This record gives sequence, C-alpha cells and structure tokens, in this order.
Amino acid sequence: MPREPFILLEDVSKGYSVGGQPVHALDHLTLSIDKGDMCALMGPSGAGKTTLLNMIGGLDVPDSGKVMVGGLDLSRLNEMQRASFRKRNVGFIFQFYNLIPSLTAYENVLVPVMFERDQRRSRAEELLDRMGLSRRMDHRPSELSGGERQRVAIARALMNDPPLILADEPTGNIDSETAREIVSLFRQLNDEGKTLIMATHDRMMAGKARSMLRMRDGRISGIKASPRSSTVHLGSAQYQTQARE
Amino acid sequence: MTERPKTFTIATYGLSHMRHNVMRTITVLVTLMITMGFLILTLSLFFGLASEFDTDSERRSILEGKVPTSTDLFRDLRIDRDMSEGSRQALVELLLFTTVLVCTVSFFIIYNTMALSVRERRREIGILRALGLSSWEVTKLFLAEGGFIGLVSWISALFLGMPLILNLSVYLLERGDTAFFFVAPAIPPQLLVVSFLSCMGLCLVSTYLAARTRIGSSPVKLMRSQE
Repeated sequence: MPREPFILLEDVSKGYSVGGQPVHALDHLTLSIDKGDMCALMGPSGAGKTTLLNMIGGLDVPDSGKVMVGGLDLSRLNEMQRASFRKRNVGFIFQFYNLIPSLTAYENVLVPVMFERDQRRSRAEELLDRMGLSRRMDHRPSELSGGERQRVAIARALMNDPPLILADEPTGNIDSETAREIVSLFRQLNDEGKTLIMATHDRMMAGKARSMLRMRDGRISGIKASPRSSTVHLGSAQYQTQARE
Repeated sequence: MTERPKTFTIATYGLSHMRHNVMRTITVLVTLMITMGFLILTLSLFFGLASEFDTDSERRSILEGKVPTSTDLFRDLRIDRDMSEGSRQALVELLLFTTVLVCTVSFFIIYNTMALSVRERRREIGILRALGLSSWEVTKLFLAEGGFIGLVSWISALFLGMPLILNLSVYLLERGDTAFFFVAPAIPPQLLVVSFLSCMGLCLVSTYLAARTRIGSSPVKLMRSQE
C-alpha cells in the first residue's frame, strides 16, 4: 500500500497583483514530500519559493487546489484553526529573523508559548544552550550578531517541538562560517526526525539537503533526490503543466 | 546574570514593549493624561453641580487642602448656593452636553493614538500571528497595554491633572471673567467611579477597535509591512 505523504499539494495556484499586473506565484503545482525529508527549494527571486512555504505552513491559503499537511486539509481550516496548526506543527525560520526587538533572546523563545499554562521555561533555556547562546539569553536582538539572532529564531521555532520546520533563506544574512553551523544544525534536526523545507540561494546549503526542488514562475522546473531518499514526487497535474510549455 | 521572570505573561510582554519604546510610551501617557484630565474636570463640574448642596462642606475641605487661594472661590460658591433651581438645571444640562462632547473627543484622541501604535507594530503582529498566536490572543496583548496605559493615565490625571485644572479654575475665578467656573469643581466618590469606568472603557474600546482590523488581516501581508 502506498505511504500517505506528509505534505501533499494538489493543483495549487496562488496569484497576486503587483502594480496592477497579475502574478502567478504558484501555477497549478502538484507535489508531495514525505515525513523526515530535508528538502531545498531553489530558484530565482519571484519563483514562488516563499509562497510555497507560506502555503505549507498555513500562513496563506491557495486560490485553488488543496494543501494537505499531516493528513489535515489546510485549505478547509479557518484562520483560528490555521493559527493553532502553526503553533503545534510548524516552526518558521525567516531570512530577517523576525525577532521581537523589545524582548530578550530568552523571552523571544517563549513567545509561542506565551498563552500556554505550562510554559516549559527550562526547555527555552535548554534550546538556547544548545544553540550556544547560554550567555546571551538576556540580550535583546539589537545586541546580538546576525548569526546569534538566527540561532535565537531557530530556538524559537523549536520551542513547541514541531514536526515540520520551514526556513526561508535562513542563511541569507549571515556569514559563511555561521551558515555552515546552521546547516549542520538542520542536519541534526533532520536526523532527529524533523521534516525540513528550506528556500535558499545557497548551493552549499542545498547540497546538504536530501532532496532539491528547482522552481521557476510558480512551477517546479527540476527535481533532484539524493540516493538516500527519493521522497519528493511530482503529480500528474505538474507533468501536464510542463507539457503545455 | 539577571533573574529571569518566573512566567512570561502578557504583562511581561507589554512592559518590555513600553520600556523599550520609552518616548512613545511617554507621548501616549501624556496625551491620554491631558485628555482624561479634561474628562475628569468636566465630570467633576457636572457632579459638583448636580449633587446636593449638603456636600458643600466636604467640597470645601477638599478644595482648602488643594487650592492655595480660595477666598474668591468661596465667595463664588455662595453665589452657587444662591443660584435659582432653573439656572442650576440649565447648567447641569449644559455640562451633560459638554461631558458627552469631551467623551467623544477623548474617544477619537485615544483611538488615533492606539491606531498609530498598532500601525507601527504591523510587522510585530504578523510575526506573532505566524508563530501561532490567534487574532484574539494578539488582541489581548494590545488590550492589556491599552488598559494599563488607561489606568496609569487615569491615576496621573487624577493626582497631577486635577490640581492643575483646579488652580486654573481658581485663577479664572479670581480674574472674574468667566461665569462658567463659578461652579466649583468637586471630587465626590461617584466621580472616582464614573471617571475610572469612562477612562478605562474609552481606552479599551478604542484599543479594541483600532487593533481589530489590522490584527485580523493576513499574517503574510502584515509581515511584509515596513516598520
């Protein structure tokens, strides 16, 4: 019996209007990604990488098509249910860190659990310790380097122990040495069973992934899976889209 | 190393934000304090005139403690006591109208102040939403801040603004060029209750209305906003 994919997109389209011109951020995209994959999304700016991540993370909804994550149809959830889905299942890591400037590193990590009864504060300290930031916990983002900020953001993404990590250009604003550390950390997280999807321009980072999707104009233009894993599948709709080109 | 907070709550979040943005917090507090000062003054005039004249001695003792030059004030209070029922009624109605007007103006001032604060923090709202906080949870953060600012402004208005306004009214009385201020301001207990409820109500409702639209919009759009 075929395995149920962890992430499944069926004929997903999403359009925006930029300066009055319609832009197809995702154009009839169909793909599936298995649990435990570490997938790199590559492609030029405007190819639809961030939109794809936003769809999978329940931050945005498609104009048409279906987005399933862990058996849950995100396109059928209302905003409150999507927020709950994000809190429990997704850890976001952004290019510009997106930390709250008024809070310390420690408090930033606690933001996702602010309204929880059991805040597991020791977990926040452990995560920051794991990120090598045990001496920087009480510093605000403005007092931290780019690499340190990104590590705080990673600790925050892991606070709820989500099965899925989505990273949008996580090494886009940091030096190559810190980038290597972050890639190595991502590999560790993947080895621990987390599914990682990262949009990146960084070839070194993409080279460490188990699979790679190349995107162009809201479509998948190429796919590469390492011998260890061939977990990314393109559906028939995608082939039809490509055939029309 | 500093002691980390035992719990990370709405209060921790709000206070960190206010500490981090000291100038903005002071601006908001001063704006609201002045607005609430006027609101309290109008209410006090209203209560002063509408309440029974038995409270005159009480009023006088309060004023004696707070107002340095009160001779003329008491002379005018005598005029107040001698005022005909019809004139008093007309003044009560005028003050009721003024109170409603001041409440409406206060609401718009507070609403604008809060709307500006929410607008400045669109990106932050987007981040919170992306991290899985619901619209209502983010709204609660803003309501807590609005409520706290309202409380501090009310207390400041009461203890700092009122004596200033009382002194101003005494000054105007001494010049004798205003008939309006001969109704000496009073601070009866019901003023405390009504002014507290109206100040907090105005703050919470205007914060809620200012926050509601933006907090409810798409997290992706909010995160794209520039600071």
